[in-house]
Amino acid sequence: MNLKKYLVRALHRLQKGPGYTYKELLVWYCDNTNTHGPKRIIKEGPKKKLIWFFLTLLFASLVFWQWGILINTYLSYNVTSSLSIGFKTMKFPAVTICNANPFKYSEVKPLLRELDRLIEAALERILQPGNSSEDVFPPLNLELWNQIPLVLIDEHDKDNPIILDIFETNQTAMGNETAMGNETAMGNESLCSQQGSGNCTYRNFTSAAQAVTEWYILQSTSILSKVPLHERIRMGYQAEDMILACLYGAEPCNYKNFTQIYHPDHGNCYIFNWGMDEEALNSSNPGAEFGLKLILDISQQDYIPYLSSAAGARLMLHQQKSFPFLKDQGIYAMAGTETSIGVLVDELERMGYPYSDCTMNGSDVPVKNLYSQYNTSYSIQACLRSCFQNHMAEICGCGHYMFPLPEGVTYCNNEDNPGWAYCYSSLRSSIKQRQICIDSCKETCNDTQYKMTISMADWPSEASEDWIFHILSYERDMSTNVTLDRNGIIKLNIYFQEYNYRTISESAATTIVWLLSSLGGQFGFWMGGSVLCLIEFGEIIIDSLWITIINIISWCKGLQQRRARARFPDAPPTVSELVEAHTNLEAHTNLGFQHEAAGAVPEAEGLPPEPGTPPPNYDSLRVQPLDSLGPDSDTE
Amino acid sequence: PATAPGKKITARLKRTLPVRGPQAPTLSELMRWYCLNTNTHGCRRIVVSRGRLRRLLWILLTLSAVGLILWQCAELLMNYYSASVSVTVQFQKLPFPAVTICNINPYKYSAMKEYLSELDKETKKALETFYGFSEGKSKVRRSVDDWNSSVSDFFQQIPLLKVEDFPRTATELHSGQKRKIEGSVFHKDSSIVNSGDSNDIIGFQLCDANNSSECALYTFSSGVNAIQEWYKLHYMNIMAQIPLETKEKLSYSADDLLLTCFFDGLSCDKRHFTRFHHPLHGNCYTFNSGENGTILSTSTGGSEYGLQVVLYIDEADYNPFLVTSSGAKIIVHDQNEYPFIEDIGTEIETAAATSIGMHFTRSRKLSKPYSDCTETGADIPVENLYNKSYSLQICLHSCFQKAMVESCGCAQYAQPLPAGAEYCNYKKNPNWMYCYYRLHEKFVKEQLGCQQICKDACSFKEWALTTSIAQWPSTVSEDWMLRVLSWDKGQKLNKKLNKTDLANLMVFYKDLNERFISENPANTLVILLSNFGGQLGLWMSCSVVCVIEIVEVFLIDSLSIVLRRQWQKAKKWWSGRQRGRAPQASDPEGQGHHNPACLDEDLPTFTTALRLPLPQGSPLPRTPPPNYSTLRLETAFTKQLPDTLELSQH
Repeated sequence: MNLKKYLVRALHRLQKGPGYTYKELLVWYCDNTNTHGPKRIIKEGPKKKLIWFFLTLLFASLVFWQWGILINTYLSYNVTSSLSIGFKTMKFPAVTICNANPFKYSEVKPLLRELDRLIEAALERILQPGNSSEDVFPPLNLELWNQIPLVLIDEHDKDNPIILDIFETNQTAMGNETAMGNETAMGNESLCSQQGSGNCTYRNFTSAAQAVTEWYILQSTSILSKVPLHERIRMGYQAEDMILACLYGAEPCNYKNFTQIYHPDHGNCYIFNWGMDEEALNSSNPGAEFGLKLILDISQQDYIPYLSSAAGARLMLHQQKSFPFLKDQGIYAMAGTETSIGVLVDELERMGYPYSDCTMNGSDVPVKNLYSQYNTSYSIQACLRSCFQNHMAEICGCGHYMFPLPEGVTYCNNEDNPGWAYCYSSLRSSIKQRQICIDSCKETCNDTQYKMTISMADWPSEASEDWIFHILSYERDMSTNVTLDRNGIIKLNIYFQEYNYRTISESAATTIVWLLSSLGGQFGFWMGGSVLCLIEFGEIIIDSLWITIINIISWCKGLQQRRARARFPDAPPTVSELVEAHTNLEAHTNLGFQHEAAGAVPEAEGLPPEPGTPPPNYDSLRVQPLDSLGPDSDTE
Repeated sequence: PATAPGKKITARLKRTLPVRGPQAPTLSELMRWYCLNTNTHGCRRIVVSRGRLRRLLWILLTLSAVGLILWQCAELLMNYYSASVSVTVQFQKLPFPAVTICNINPYKYSAMKEYLSELDKETKKALETFYGFSEGKSKVRRSVDDWNSSVSDFFQQIPLLKVEDFPRTATELHSGQKRKIEGSVFHKDSSIVNSGDSNDIIGFQLCDANNSSECALYTFSSGVNAIQEWYKLHYMNIMAQIPLETKEKLSYSADDLLLTCFFDGLSCDKRHFTRFHHPLHGNCYTFNSGENGTILSTSTGGSEYGLQVVLYIDEADYNPFLVTSSGAKIIVHDQNEYPFIEDIGTEIETAAATSIGMHFTRSRKLSKPYSDCTETGADIPVENLYNKSYSLQICLHSCFQKAMVESCGCAQYAQPLPAGAEYCNYKKNPNWMYCYYRLHEKFVKEQLGCQQICKDACSFKEWALTTSIAQWPSTVSEDWMLRVLSWDKGQKLNKKLNKTDLANLMVFYKDLNERFISENPANTLVILLSNFGGQLGLWMSCSVVCVIEIVEVFLIDSLSIVLRRQWQKAKKWWSGRQRGRAPQASDPEGQGHHNPACLDEDLPTFTTALRLPLPQGSPLPRTPPPNYSTLRLETAFTKQLPDTLELSQH
């Protein structure tokens, strides 16, 4: 019913022609809009009209320009950072403790016997080239040696370096291999892949000590990778041997509070407060009194002599449920000292995409995280190592011993993968590979660092030495003999500093609220406008479109009628013609306008459309007399 | 006819763009019109409100809104130059910093013998007389006689004194004679001296050579400090006379210092190090100084991928008086920075592996007008004596050196030479020590103005170091390690190395996260204008248009109305006089911009314009009066508030 009424009304309107002209529409808009400029245009004399017209245009373009800037600013997703410092009850960090030496020498000796004899003989040859004792018994097993021999490179002659295998006397002059290095002789190791002698590289070292250590690490890695994991754990340091005393706050703790983890670099490591099975411990007081106190024994006598030359405990503070990367973040604690570590938790909380390019949990990183088998959370170090290991498995066909294994891959050893050392070393020094990994790994959004203030003192003091060693030996072995000494014993204090956190948190510099208020501010500042003004403007555009449609239709009708009139010249004037004539007579008194302004009321009352036209009540009327009067006064 | 077109155009212009003054005839009329038609919200209420109280209230509210706007906008303007801080973390390949390594002992003692033998002899003698200390038993008792016979230069120049009965008398060391203390007394150690312990006070006196009555006594609570300080003064004096090439030869060579070097998994050697001569630390070696144009970078964190060096510290060849600790000093710095190793170096212990984990932070401040820092140092009136990029430290040192050259006539040994100056020594500048101490004291007390002139740099790089120490070599590896390292050291050294002669150093990135702390302008012009707009809109719904309106109405229009009034008055008065004198006089030709005659007669005023008579000749007789808002308002006024209408008409 309503629809029909509406359609009828629309038809009427079409018959009548446009309700008003564009000019009237604009004048009406200017007078009634809420934006500040347009009103002025029509209110004043012609000169001011001109000024205000340009001013309004200028302001409108200013508004749009500034809006563009604001929207651009918003889309750049800037952040601001806020810093907070203070003390609060916080989770005590997870503390990982390792021995710098991965295995007890007494346990791995049988495995490394051949290697040790080899290196001793090699050292003998290097240090005393002349009088080397040839009567080695039993004869050396040179199989290991032949895979990766240590050589001396004499580069006195730059173009033709003389390469001398330590165990062989024949000198080979290398042709196309350029060994960058020194003028002096030096210890080197040579890596050859199995594909033939053409594929050899010499890793050069300027120091024999370095060369021997690297060589030994490569060889022992290959040997130990064949040993099953539980065997390796058994060969490492056991918690009850290593952790002699433990005190957390006022509560005693012991080695059972530590979680064992096998770390390829350092053997058995023990993590306090890892938070894997139980709740993480909180610390609500600053100071050494309320921190973790440990006494460790690293038994330096049992170190593997060629593997690690530095002696001490390796420890690291990290977040709960994260994997400890001791080579990166770990610190040493020296034997025979008390090391105090004051901790400040330095946190950086970031917003993630699109504000910064970081990852919340690593799920959106294209690298398979191999450390997830430890149930640990994502970290950039884990990602980089996983990336390397994945590459290694792909290119060399086996995994490196230092990193966890991808599925279906075994660790490299000299027997199954004879060329692995060459492959590994070329992969390791490949800059391209590193860049790929750096590009594909993302840092985590929440970056927590433990800033440590480290201080040391001699411990135990000479006066207290005796009784301390006695008690600790007794507690460990139930023996009255002193089995400990200064070289093996370490005291550790880890505690929160007076200010224990410094948090930098990001917040969006530009939010949608900010954007809206800035847009509103700009619009308001230049033109006093609001969203409603925009809607008004939109309405005017719709209206003018409507006018256009009506005009076009009426023009078409006019065309038809003209044709019709050509046939019947005395046809009566149509409604629209009448209206047109009327508007020509009196431009301001538009009859059709009433319908628009007063709504459906006149029609509902059933007023006759033509003679009963109500008076015009739009505001342009008021303006017109002013204008028409103006010239009158001047013409005088 | 020639002027006709011009006149025509002006006439036409006048017709199309007629110049009329404000439509309101009086000021109150204008105000009323303004209040009714303005876009701001408060004004209209004032006019429309009924009742005095309410009107007053609205006036107050409008005024307070204006006040608030002004206050808030002023606040916004004042806070325009504020900065917000943003911290970004980027994981990337990082440039490795330059690492400068020095032996704590500057020069080989054995090589320095010929220069220092005299001074050392004197120092030993001083120790013997003062504290009864002697190295060999042979020279226990023979000293006193030949000492008095030949008083050395050193004691004549700067005598060591033992102060008794502080602060009046002192015993001179070499002669044993007592003397009165003149001049001022300075304490090097602390300003608080327990006078009860005055027997222990030892010091030396520096006198102005030109004016011997001006002396300064420097005292120390401990002989250790006094002897060292005294030794250092003479030492600097001696070293200032030795040319740089000789000094470089006297110090350690790269082969002496570095035993092994390993960087990023690859071997390195002395060619990766650049020599850098430090006046107080002798030859220092900078790894990755960037001198040959390439700066090494790290793409993997962790101790294996950093710099690992084993240093040879020849402890037996140390100068016993100059340095009392042994080891090495290192500093991590940017390639463009000067390493102030004496100020901010980290000491490395011997017989230990020192592992230094780095974390890289870059900071950037906004320069003027946000904060008072300098980008390049070019705007600071102190010449940069160091061949490195600007830093606060460089500025302070340069500033002091400049002051030193100006007031003492020679340059201090520990800092680089300005152009045309030379280092101080006794022979040429007998007065320099006194001058130096005086100047240094002024410098410390901030009387030289250096601290005021020098500004901090706007951007700086910082490597936060986490240092930890492990025993090295371990007891089981000690044997082979020392043997191989001795072999590495080469044939020239046949003895086996001692582990206290060695220091192992590892410098590496803990992670490759670079933190970049930067200041950004918190406000831009766009945001400021937005805020203005927000304030104006919140309190009054005002905009720039309103401001223009206010200027238009309150300045231009009111002024023209006032002028018009005056003009009319003047005209009336004139015509009155004219009529009195000669009644036949014609009207003045008012053709100016504000022609009151025209306006007064013809122009419909605001009110008249509003009270248009209904169109009489309207073809529609039933037309009701127009119902647009202002008109209706006006009628409402006349009906309900005759008093206000009357007011406005008067």
